[in-house]
This record gives sequence, C-alpha cells and structure tokens, in this order.
Amino acid sequence: MKSTKFTPASKLSKAEIDRKWWEVGDFFRRNSLWMLMYCTGCCAIELPPAMTSAYDMERLGMGPMATPRQADILLVSGYLSLKTLRRLIYTYEQMSEPRYVVALGSCPINGGIYHDSHAVINKLDQYIPVDVYVAGCMPNTESVMNGFVDLMDQIKRKTAVGWKKYHENNAWYKENQKTSLGEVVVHDEFHE
Amino acid sequence: MTNSMNNIEFVNDLVKGTVEVVKSEVIDKFQVSFEIKKNEVHLLLTKLKSAGWIQLSYLSAIDWLEENKFELIYILMNWEKPVYIQVRTKIDRENPVMDSILPIFGGAKYYEREAHEFFGIAFPGNPDYEKQLILEGWDDIPPLRKDFDPKAYSDKKFPQRDYPQDYSVKDPKESKQAKREARKQRAESLRGGKKQ
Repeated sequence: MKSTKFTPASKLSKAEIDRKWWEVGDFFRRNSLWMLMYCTGCCAIELPPAMTSAYDMERLGMGPMATPRQADILLVSGYLSLKTLRRLIYTYEQMSEPRYVVALGSCPINGGIYHDSHAVINKLDQYIPVDVYVAGCMPNTESVMNGFVDLMDQIKRKTAVGWKKYHENNAWYKENQKTSLGEVVVHDEFHE
Repeated sequence: MTNSMNNIEFVNDLVKGTVEVVKSEVIDKFQVSFEIKKNEVHLLLTKLKSAGWIQLSYLSAIDWLEENKFELIYILMNWEKPVYIQVRTKIDRENPVMDSILPIFGGAKYYEREAHEFFGIAFPGNPDYEKQLILEGWDDIPPLRKDFDPKAYSDKKFPQRDYPQDYSVKDPKESKQAKREARKQRAESLRGGKKQ
C-alpha cells in the first residue's frame, strides 16, 4: 500500500520552511479579517449593504470587531478632523500586528469636499500608512467589496506592508503628526 | 391658551411691556423673534423664565462683518404655550463682551463656551468660558468669524496631494468641456428647429 505521508523531493532549508509557514499563516490571515470600523463620515452608509444579504461580507471571512487589539483592519470611512485623527492614531497604535488600513472615499485621499476646511486633514497617508484606498464620493458597495478583495490579494502577494512601513519610517510619521496636530497626546477635561 | 395665535399675542404683550423692542418679527405661528438692547437681555430672560419659558433651547452667534457687530440669539421654549422665542441682541465686534446668563439658565454654560471658542466672545460670569471645548490646540483667530479664511489656513497647515502631470487633462483637443458645449449647442439648435 502506498503511503499517504508527504515526503518532499529534497530536504527543505530553514528559510524555505519559514516561508511555507508564512504562506500558511497568510492564508488564514486573509480569510479571517476582522474590521475595526472607524466610521466618521458618510461612506459608512456603504457598509450595511456590504455586510448584509446583498453582498454578504462574511462569506469572505470578514466581520466587525469591537476592540482594536483583536482587529486586523482599520477601516477609515470618510473625513477626518484633527480631533478624530488624534484618536485614530491612538487606535491604530493599539492594534496588534500585522494590521492593515483601508480608507474609503475621497476624503482620506485628498480632503474631498472638505479640502478647504479648517479642521479636516487632506492626506491620511501622511499620518498613518494606508494599504488600500477605495475612491469615490461615496464609493458604491461593489467597489468597497473590491477594495477588500484587493487587500486579500495584497496579503497573498505580501505587498500589504503598511505596518512595516510604520516601523521603518516612524520618525517621519511622528513628525507629520506633530506638525499638523501639535502634540499627539490628548489633553482635555475628559482625559485628565 | 390652546390657540397658538393667542400665544403669540401674549408673548408680544409680555415682551413689549417689559423692555424696549428694537425690531420684532413673527416668523410663523410657533416662532417669534425680538431684537432688544444688550443691557436688557437679562431682565427679559428672567421675565420670560418666570412666565413659563423655562427651557433655553439654543444660544448662538452671528457675525455681521459689514455692520461690525456680533448678534447673539437666545432661543427659549415653553412647554405649556408652544412658542419659541428668539431674543436677539447686537454687541460690539471689536471688544465682544456679554455678561453670562448662567444664573438664569444653567444650561447656557456649554453654549457660551462654544460661542467663545468659535467667535471669541467673552462671557464674564461663566467660570469656564475660556476653557477649550471643541477645537484642540487652536492657533489662529476664531474660525467662525467672517474674516477667517479657512482655505488659506488649510493650505498653510495641511499638506496637499500633488498629482502627476499626465493624470490631469490639459490638452484643449481632449477637453470634455468643449465637447459638452458643442453637444449642448447642437441639441438646442435642433430644439429651435422643431418649435418653428
């Protein structure tokens, strides 16, 4: 009787074994993505149809998550005021790695219709790394779903490396945060 | 007192018997506005509160740049006689000071802080009015004043996204605008032909 045991043709090196394990890890990672939804703006209205029976996001293994420590994706939907951005950076830094950022709508790309507002930032990727942008004001639900599929593809091809960039260029990100926000620590009567 | 027109007459008599009204307007059958002098606001608000207008629904400010005035609007609501009363008063824009109405309406505390933050109006009598409420680390003139330019502030403070040249359509031959105009003109010429 032929053995069902898998025997590789040649002995694998340690690097190859590590790579295989990462591939296995990435398979599970991209098929169980939990989202922390930072719904600040109007694009959040695209999420109910994406999650319910129309597009049923859960068949991709995606679901909402309540806390940053257990979430994989930080979903930024809509405009970000300075006040929100400060909390968003807090949230992003609390998430465990690997972590991915998906930005919905034109506001995180270039400010959108709020590009001339005194309180709204114009480029999100100055402050935290963004893996996938979904363009549109608002993006329709198909493109939102397409954005998530793109993210899965990026994880498979190992190009969703925003969280690594945040480590490598941390000084640059911190300086940008400080230039626009001042000190990033929150000082107000509710936090002291 | 179920008839709302009666209510408005009642309010008119009450206010005109108490203070000197500069301008008054009946907005609709549930809302009436009175413009009065700055130093009579507290008197009128006290009177209205004792007459049943116990709820301060809103306190806001308007910047009249050309008149060089700020206008403060106090909106009161009575749950027995359903009429909103707007009490309006104009204050100096250069040195905007208005005594706090905190002893009359405790709920004005946060409205006054907001007005101070967005317009720079001082409210002596309110212990917290200078505390930061909404804007964090603000470094310019109050943002809802008409002489504040949000676009210039945004350009100065936040980095803008640069787009590569080849993504913007600048070739007049490819202009969608011109094509659209031509299409519109042709459509109009056809329509004109049909009419005759």
